Amino acid sequence: MPDVFRVFGVRHHGPGSARSLRAALEAYEPDAVLIEGPPDANSALPLAAQDEMKPPLALLVYVPDEPQRAVFYPFAAFSPEWVAIRHGLSRKIPVRFMDLPQIHCLGSEKPPANETQFNAPPLVGEPSPPNGQEAEIWQDPLGLLAQVAGFEDGERWWDHLVESRRDEKGAVFDAITDAMAVLREDQNPAGPRRDEARERQREAFMRKTIRAAIAEGHQRIAIVCGAWHAPALLDVEKKGSAAADNALLKGLPKVKTAVAWTPWSYDRLSFRSGYGAGVASPAYYDLLWKYEQHVAIHWLTRAARLIRKQDLDASSAHIIEAVRLAEALAALRGRPQPGLDELVEAALAVLCSGNEAPLQLIRRKLIIGDRLGSVPEDAPATPLQQNLLALQKRLRLPATADEQDYDLDLRKPLDLERSRLLHRLNLLNVRWGDQREERGKKGTFHEFWRLAWKPEFVIELIAAGRWGNTVEAAASAFAGDRALHADSLGTLVALLDDALLADLPDAVGSLLAAIQQHAALGGDVLQLMDALPPLARIGRYGNVRQTDVAIILSVVEGLLTRVCVGISAAAGSLDDDAARQMFARINGIHDSIGLLQNDAQRDQWLAALSKLADQSGLNALVAGRAVRLLHDAGFWQHEEVGRRLSLALSTGNDPAHAAGWIEGFLSGSGALLIHDEPIWSLVDNWLSDLGPDHFATVLPLLRRTFATFHAPERRQLGERVKSRSGGAPVGSAPSDEFDYERADAVLPLLAKILGVQYPSAGSAQ
Amino acid sequence: MKKDGTQAVLRRHAEEQFAEELAALAKQDDRQRPPNWKLSPWGVAHYILGGKLDRGIEITPKYIGNRRLVEIAIATLATDRALLLLGVPGTAKTWLSEHLAAAISGDSTLLVQGTAGTAEETIRYGWNYALLLAKGPSREALVPSPVMRAMQEGKIARVEELTRIPADVQDTLITILSEKTLPIPELDDEVQAVKGFNVIATANNRDRGVNELSSALRRRFNTVILPTPATADEEVSIVKTRVEALGRALELPGDAPPVEEIRRIVAIFRELRDGKTTDGKTKLKSPSGSMSTAEAISVVNSGLALAAHFGDGKLRAGDVASGLTGAIVKDPVQDAIVWKEYLETVVKEREGWSDLYRACRETL
Repeated sequence: MPDVFRVFGVRHHGPGSARSLRAALEAYEPDAVLIEGPPDANSALPLAAQDEMKPPLALLVYVPDEPQRAVFYPFAAFSPEWVAIRHGLSRKIPVRFMDLPQIHCLGSEKPPANETQFNAPPLVGEPSPPNGQEAEIWQDPLGLLAQVAGFEDGERWWDHLVESRRDEKGAVFDAITDAMAVLREDQNPAGPRRDEARERQREAFMRKTIRAAIAEGHQRIAIVCGAWHAPALLDVEKKGSAAADNALLKGLPKVKTAVAWTPWSYDRLSFRSGYGAGVASPAYYDLLWKYEQHVAIHWLTRAARLIRKQDLDASSAHIIEAVRLAEALAALRGRPQPGLDELVEAALAVLCSGNEAPLQLIRRKLIIGDRLGSVPEDAPATPLQQNLLALQKRLRLPATADEQDYDLDLRKPLDLERSRLLHRLNLLNVRWGDQREERGKKGTFHEFWRLAWKPEFVIELIAAGRWGNTVEAAASAFAGDRALHADSLGTLVALLDDALLADLPDAVGSLLAAIQQHAALGGDVLQLMDALPPLARIGRYGNVRQTDVAIILSVVEGLLTRVCVGISAAAGSLDDDAARQMFARINGIHDSIGLLQNDAQRDQWLAALSKLADQSGLNALVAGRAVRLLHDAGFWQHEEVGRRLSLALSTGNDPAHAAGWIEGFLSGSGALLIHDEPIWSLVDNWLSDLGPDHFATVLPLLRRTFATFHAPERRQLGERVKSRSGGAPVGSAPSDEFDYERADAVLPLLAKILGVQYPSAGSAQ
Repeated sequence: MKKDGTQAVLRRHAEEQFAEELAALAKQDDRQRPPNWKLSPWGVAHYILGGKLDRGIEITPKYIGNRRLVEIAIATLATDRALLLLGVPGTAKTWLSEHLAAAISGDSTLLVQGTAGTAEETIRYGWNYALLLAKGPSREALVPSPVMRAMQEGKIARVEELTRIPADVQDTLITILSEKTLPIPELDDEVQAVKGFNVIATANNRDRGVNELSSALRRRFNTVILPTPATADEEVSIVKTRVEALGRALELPGDAPPVEEIRRIVAIFRELRDGKTTDGKTKLKSPSGSMSTAEAISVVNSGLALAAHFGDGKLRAGDVASGLTGAIVKDPVQDAIVWKEYLETVVKEREGWSDLYRACRETL
């Protein structure tokens, strides 16, 4: 064993390894530390010395032009690598990474097809497994050895190992190296290792880095790497190995990379998530790292306090019993101390009364944990990230990993700014906040948000960095760019909605220009009709956000004019399906007109509608609706409407046409029929005059209309049918010459249509 | 197993039936035993879960299922906390508690059966009124309850169906479990529990709320919820083992039941219990009963008896049909619909099940 360096094979993210490593480093007193990690990040290492750097953190190595191609190297407080970095920096000795640089790894990789997927190693320096579930021996060789030794958790086994070899500091690392050497010999060279060539290159580069450090004259070099690599690094000084290594490293592809520190979360460290580091229980490891002794007591006390917060019984007596049970379980299973399994089982039997539900909470908070790291504000980051950090601070919106609910009152300046920030971030695809509907509180000035920060947002932020250096500028430029490439008016209007919520005047300007242009060139009246209602809504309610609505109203005006001009052409010769869509669109525009409360616009619209109603060849559904809307608006009087009704329903017309017309006319409101006497009698007469064949044709169509009425309306209609002779005076029908016999003949059928019981006798008199 | 003086007994206590296994375990078990325990916790776990000992002695598994649950139960008793076994009917709560008591104390007979009429005397002590009148209150006139005897002898007492006992009577257990004493105010005396005393209670969590435990009492128990068997194979092996053991005890003539028949019955039970077919493609109604493994065992058993006495000794579809219908149809209206639907939609279509379909149709 050469004296100039010493290899410490560790378990990635293992608190046991970290503790032993700390003691070993203090005893060894190295004059340089080499760590398995990307040398690209060497420049970022000194930052780790700052106290504001709070793990969990990750080193992000990415290709500046394509931030989606990135690799994260996560560090927790209990990661041996982190311990080694801090040890070296605090003693002001050189600290370096020695793994194969990412300029080569990312360089040789093909850009991922899917934007959101990128290569993130599950463990520091250990490339991701081919399949999330199958852990190969090289991933966690120590965990495997622990399992063979009867321990379920590698950490407990490590502690056990260390405890049994207390005499010599660091001796455990030599034992580990020996064990790994044996394991590596057993490993079939053509076996399940996934990328043999890349592995050899990595180890060659590590050896190269070590040689360089020796050449610099360092006398005591501490080398920290995954246990698996430890034996391979010992033969640095073997003859000819340097030349072989250099040959291996020749001609590797290259790409430019950049590095940043970014806050990470325990959730991301856990196996549950896609970018995980394979640590199943970060919060538990954290506790193991913090407390060397009495872990069971600390953990179960936390569990009890957590459960107590949920208003479940969990007294100190419970904790005592749970600790006793955990210890008894460990003894039963022949383990020196309770591990996580025993703790969870004790919590289940004692604290949760066998009920699995509270256990979910414990799992989330005490096994996985919701801790989020932080980096100092002056840490190198893209200007956009720094801007966001400053905004978060100023607006008192801390980025937390667990979900926080905010009820923003947009009348308050602070809340308004918060809302703007969240909307802008959403526009940039940084979905930090999720806006949700909440019942109970009404009013357009309330916004409800649920915020949960995810560390991978940093990628989106870096990606968004090319759009601008502040959140506002980036969102604005991004929206403007999307406006240029939008292909339909609908997309533009949706984008405009977002831009207005995000209060981006520049973007709104370019979006409105784009909309005007689209409206002028497109000439598709249907698109215009779809775009108008949302714009009208914004114009009406935009005031709460203090956005300048005048500019929108002018666009609305332009749109409306085009709609009024084009509607008669657009509504002509429609088939039934298209007519139904047109029917909905006309309703939408009519509602918008009501919202806008502009008399000139209203007159313009009603005039267009009246022209539409007169149009020949118009689909009956649309025609009926137009007449109805004009009736509601008071544009036409009763007499005029009655005339048109009787015209449309006259026997000369095709029954299907008449039924379509009446559907358009009556759809959605039976109230008119109940209370408007002339219309009632018109409908009644039309129906009574139908021949048997015609009646059979229109029956299903009528049924369709009447079925949409509310049940009480239908009942009232039925009652009117029943009492029609003795009821309200029948206006236009000459009552004195009424033919009761003929009327009686149709009444049972009418009652059937209306879905009411028709008593067979008595009432017809 | 030899038949000696106890041969006339219909069902022998666990500690008698498995006396040889217990003795063999006790001989080999050199681990530390809690005071007054016949075996170490390891030995108890081995007795319950089965396995091979040195010198080729085979311990039959008594409980087939989650090893962890059994370990929690044993560890609980080792910490002198009381154990509450919860589960739907037929999940081997009583079975497990009997065997735990047999292995730990060598005595599973200290039993209080909980009913709505269970009185305080059943848990504390009663009086021999003739003696009481003749001599006045004295220890001789006292009639100890099983719990009191367990305290005096340092054994495990069992309380069955704890939630059926009225709440005020339940609470008598609080002093016993927390202070480990049973005061006798009439004599100004008390009984203090000897080391090794503990209580295993069972309760049904399907009809919960009968007499919900007070939180003071609940706090004295560690709770273990016994699930229905996790996989079909596990359940088949439970049914098979139990049916064979019961068949032996009842001295039924005829062959052992074919595994395929058991597999079929277990499949029916599991599908009706889960409310969907094994392949997860068809949704089913669940009957009102709990469709437990214990009932599956009794269906096979009664089928065996039918086959042995009225058939040719081979278990056939016709022999299990009436038992199946009886086990499933607990509510004559609702469950009959469920069972009929299941027969028509699942059993009828399934390959090789036509004999069962015909046989079951006849019983309806």
